[in-house]
Amino acid sequence: MSDYEGGPANEDDLSLPRATVYKLIAEMMPEDIVCAKDTRDLLLECCNEFIHLIASESNDVCEKEAKKTIAAEHVLTALQDLGFGKYVTEVQEAYDEHRKQQTKDRGRKSTKLSQLGMSEEELLRSQELLFAEARMRFQSQTSQAPSNDSTPASANSTH
Amino acid sequence: MAASEANTVAAAATGTSNLPAARVRRIIKEDKDIFACGSESLFLISRATEYFIDSLVRESYEFSRLDKRKTVQYKDMAKAVQSIEQYDFLSDIIPPTVSVRKPATTETQ
Repeated sequence: MSDYEGGPANEDDLSLPRATVYKLIAEMMPEDIVCAKDTRDLLLECCNEFIHLIASESNDVCEKEAKKTIAAEHVLTALQDLGFGKYVTEVQEAYDEHRKQQTKDRGRKSTKLSQLGMSEEELLRSQELLFAEARMRFQSQTSQAPSNDSTPASANSTH
Repeated sequence: MAASEANTVAAAATGTSNLPAARVRRIIKEDKDIFACGSESLFLISRATEYFIDSLVRESYEFSRLDKRKTVQYKDMAKAVQSIEQYDFLSDIIPPTVSVRKPATTETQ
């Protein structure tokens, strides 16, 4: 999986893509108000800080449970602990939808194979059979080839 | 609900985020204490960040409105950060502008 997406070359400049955030800001503003340019940039920095804050807190929750990978529950707890509980209810809806999507994708991937109606061993066996048949065909072709020509060996020996 | 909120709401409905996952992951990974972050957690952090943007924008433009302005400026965001406890973590990035504080000596209770 490639992470390259034309992001900043310098790790220190790492932040969310400007255009995406600007678009979100524009959507969230009411019709009659605009956001000054430097204020938008400021907001971008705030997003970075927010991500670091939540990630760090989630990591603390994760470590307390003696786990190594930050799980969804850790993030939800972290949000509560940091006073962003009101986000939790809103995030929950998106989270449920997200999980539904994940199981749908997983289901789609597995049906392709199961639709063939053959198990992995059966597939391997049929593959072996196909190879064997091809091999036989190839061998019979090469054994037939010399009988089509007049004996080349005797013709050559006279030279 | 304004039509302009369509994108954020639509994303919530389909279980996606408007923020690119790979970029969010790279930002999280800057913290060397973090060993690993699951993709579901990544998604939750992305969504939470979107709601954060929404909240901060709203709170900021309320101050613009109070000041009868049509443009959200730095000072509006500074006031928002000051007035909300959860935004304390932003006080280093957005130090309060001097004009917000009135000298105590001129005020009498």
